[in-house]
Amino acid sequence: MTAAPMTVAPTASTAKTVLSVKDLNVVFSGFKALKGVNLEVYDGEILTIIGANGAGKSTLLDAIVGKSPVASGHVYYSGKDITNKQPHKIARMGVGRKFQNPNVYNELTVFDNILLALKGAHGIFASMTAKLTKAKKGKIYDVLERTGLLDQAFEKVSSLSHGQKQWVEIAMVLAQDPSVVLLDEPTAGMTAEETFATGEIIKSIAKAHSIVVIEHDMEFVKQIAERIVVLHQGAVLAEGSVQEIQSNPKVIEVYLGRETINAAA
Amino acid sequence: MSNVVMGYKQSTFPKRLAAIAGIALLIFIVLPFVVGSFQLSLLSKLLLFGTLAVTLDLVWGFTGILSFAHGIFFTLGGYASAYYLKLNLSAANNTYGGELPDFMVWNGLEVLPWFIAPLKYFPVAFLAVIGVPALFAYITGSFIFRSKVSGVYITIITLALSSALTTFFISQQAYTGGTNGITDVSKLSVFGTVIPPIGIYFLILAYTVFVLALSWWLTQSNFGLILRSINENENRIAFLGYDVAQYKIFIWTLSAALAGMAGGLFVPLNRFISPVYLAVAFGTQVVIWVAIGGRGTLVGPMAAAIILGQVQNSAEKVTQDWQLIVGILLLVVVLFIPNGLMSLLPKQLRLSNLSKPKPLPGAAAAPVTPVVPAEMASEPQTEAAQRSS
Repeated sequence: MTAAPMTVAPTASTAKTVLSVKDLNVVFSGFKALKGVNLEVYDGEILTIIGANGAGKSTLLDAIVGKSPVASGHVYYSGKDITNKQPHKIARMGVGRKFQNPNVYNELTVFDNILLALKGAHGIFASMTAKLTKAKKGKIYDVLERTGLLDQAFEKVSSLSHGQKQWVEIAMVLAQDPSVVLLDEPTAGMTAEETFATGEIIKSIAKAHSIVVIEHDMEFVKQIAERIVVLHQGAVLAEGSVQEIQSNPKVIEVYLGRETINAAA
Repeated sequence: MSNVVMGYKQSTFPKRLAAIAGIALLIFIVLPFVVGSFQLSLLSKLLLFGTLAVTLDLVWGFTGILSFAHGIFFTLGGYASAYYLKLNLSAANNTYGGELPDFMVWNGLEVLPWFIAPLKYFPVAFLAVIGVPALFAYITGSFIFRSKVSGVYITIITLALSSALTTFFISQQAYTGGTNGITDVSKLSVFGTVIPPIGIYFLILAYTVFVLALSWWLTQSNFGLILRSINENENRIAFLGYDVAQYKIFIWTLSAALAGMAGGLFVPLNRFISPVYLAVAFGTQVVIWVAIGGRGTLVGPMAAAIILGQVQNSAEKVTQDWQLIVGILLLVVVLFIPNGLMSLLPKQLRLSNLSKPKPLPGAAAAPVTPVVPAEMASEPQTEAAQRSS
């Protein structure tokens, strides 16, 4: 993953579609949060979704993972319709989600947080007799190493910094070993160094996973982005490579005067 | 910061825990031989109340579901047990000579209702003591936990259930004995031999040990880790692929079955059961034991039930206003020891600490060793040293 970001977006002919969103509409008591969104996520790519506050970015992820009810339209994962399925079923199928605010277990150790997320049998009786095997331990240490949390393994999450908590959640998503990883603002509240390190983590896990990232920070977007989708007022405004998006007149119009895009241009 | 991994059973039972549990068990084995018959009966009752508190600890302390309904499960088990003992009353001991229980005769019933008749047989009664509360819990639990009801609303539902069932049992006098409940039941006997009070005590002690051991095993397993996670943030764990409702229904039902058996053992001891134990007041009592003892500690609620019961007993001798003394004690604990009596014990003596697995070697033992600053890598060991010293 040392190669420069791809300038040409993969298409259905060159890559396999893993996740596909068709004509998706989400309505919150009369307010149309998503209006007919169409989106494809290809195998092994990093798709970055940008857009202003209220553009529907988080709502889109919520609809995919079964958190927000879909009014009409469909979400397909590996060809299967997962629209409005229960969250735990979608998660078990292979869609992992990191929430905007660190959504981790503060009262548990880092190790236990990862242990909970570990892919495997999630049934009641399996959990009673589960043993901490070498393979599981190895997998947990592996995930902790990739996210730089090895030293904090046995600390309570409540004692970690905000940035480290974000990594704990990324580590949890990795431990789930999903084929699609949905990351909602993974660098929120991070220092510049932490943000950069997070970008490298994300790039290192691409290929093995398809990754969808929601992000505000254009520096960070340039660091990781292969293909970008711009959401605006609940609909897809533009789609393309970093360069294409930066030179897109519609995007410029919407973001006119916005420093993030100017800085990135 | 605890340098331990919870959620997995370790291969060896912690020695300190084994020692303390052993001493406690020994005391409870010796006690019945040195106390009088009143204290023996009181201790038996308090062990059962303590067991009931432990079953509530599983759903409230660990899983975060505050329930005032545990008296219901206890009482349903109690009624099943009471029907069995009442129907096995010899004709000579029955007020009206026949097979029909006295309260049914008073209320004009002429035939034993079909749904009560099978309870005359021990295996049926035994299954009912566990099964009826469990089924009731499974049905109510499925409705409550599959719907999106959460938090305080669940608590309100349990209060409503408690009131509704109390009213129902009082209104069905011919079948339940109404307000008086089922009284004058026969003594529990095995193959025609009546079990003496000390036998009942040991039966109850064995069941208490069983419930504590089972609860400890469950909560130390990965299952317990998931319960604690549901307590802290149930939405997150669903996105990790866990069916939260299924876990809640399971622990709710299991807890009810265990509470039901406690009620089942209560009747041979108490010799009657009545809607008093269905009522909100009794359900609240169970909540108080758990709150005072310490949520999520198992032993705490057990100890609180026993200690409060003894305090109440002593206070009753001194003054008629004993409730005032118990009330003041409750206030003091809630205001000054919000985490319960168990939190007063030194950390090393608390069950939750004792039962945790030994510290793993820490980061240094990790199979992969990235660049780790020496002082950070050694931190877990330092902590382990402090812990054991």
